[in-house]
Amino acid sequence: MTTSETGLLSKGSALPQMPTEEQPDLLVLDSRLAELSRAQSWSESLEDRLGLDENTRYAIRLCLEESLANVVLHGYRNEPGHPIVIRRWLSSDTLYFAVEDKAPPFTPVDAPPLAATSEPGNIESLTPGGNGIRLLRQFAGSLAYENLPEGNRLTIGFSLQPS
Amino acid sequence: MTISTESIDGDITRILLDGRMDIEGAAAIDLRMNVLAGSAKFLLIDLRNVSFIGSMGLRSIVIPAEAVRRRGGKTVLFGPVPLVEKVLKTSNIDQVIPVFHELDTALASLR
Repeated sequence: MTTSETGLLSKGSALPQMPTEEQPDLLVLDSRLAELSRAQSWSESLEDRLGLDENTRYAIRLCLEESLANVVLHGYRNEPGHPIVIRRWLSSDTLYFAVEDKAPPFTPVDAPPLAATSEPGNIESLTPGGNGIRLLRQFAGSLAYENLPEGNRLTIGFSLQPS
Repeated sequence: MTISTESIDGDITRILLDGRMDIEGAAAIDLRMNVLAGSAKFLLIDLRNVSFIGSMGLRSIVIPAEAVRRRGGKTVLFGPVPLVEKVLKTSNIDQVIPVFHELDTALASLR
């Protein structure tokens, strides 16, 4: 499939225009893990423009990796050739990323909470690769899942207010 | 992501990791980690230079640690930076693979 990216830097203006919910930045990925690095670079370009702190950058990197890997590995069962669309925008001091796919319905925000999924005490109690949802919950400022007519949308918010 | 090792008295293998343990980084070290886990008795995984870890990076730690444990050995983690340690705690990894910030204490726990 083809990929595309559109930024909102205004040609000729001194200040870059920031993406809004009405006019979000857009990135289209193919359903391959190798595409994740492109999403991270795309995100970093905005993080640089916004001058985000280390904690927020880490949270964004982690949440993008976990959500996109979840779509590729579980939603599309590691099969390339399917679209993943990421939109990002700023609203009221919050930076949002919406990850859309056309995979079968999956509701990560309804997954059992940590206490119900893990009884720490031995290594076998840990499920390698099964930590993505816990990490999303811990590091995202907000998480919202929508079941689309054809697919899913996970919207992740990060507060840009100094903590 | 780079990986190097050194042997320490007491049958301890110190694994020094450097870089981001994201999907790409995990893929770069998985084979070497599993080979090391196949022969080492005690593993000290040095995370001081790991700037990022996600769930796939955790997998690169948990699977070798489990292999070592099955053979009667032990694994400890050393020196994670605060955000990496937050991921370890969120995932409960720290409750089954001890985390240390003092090298002497980490080594003593393996001897």
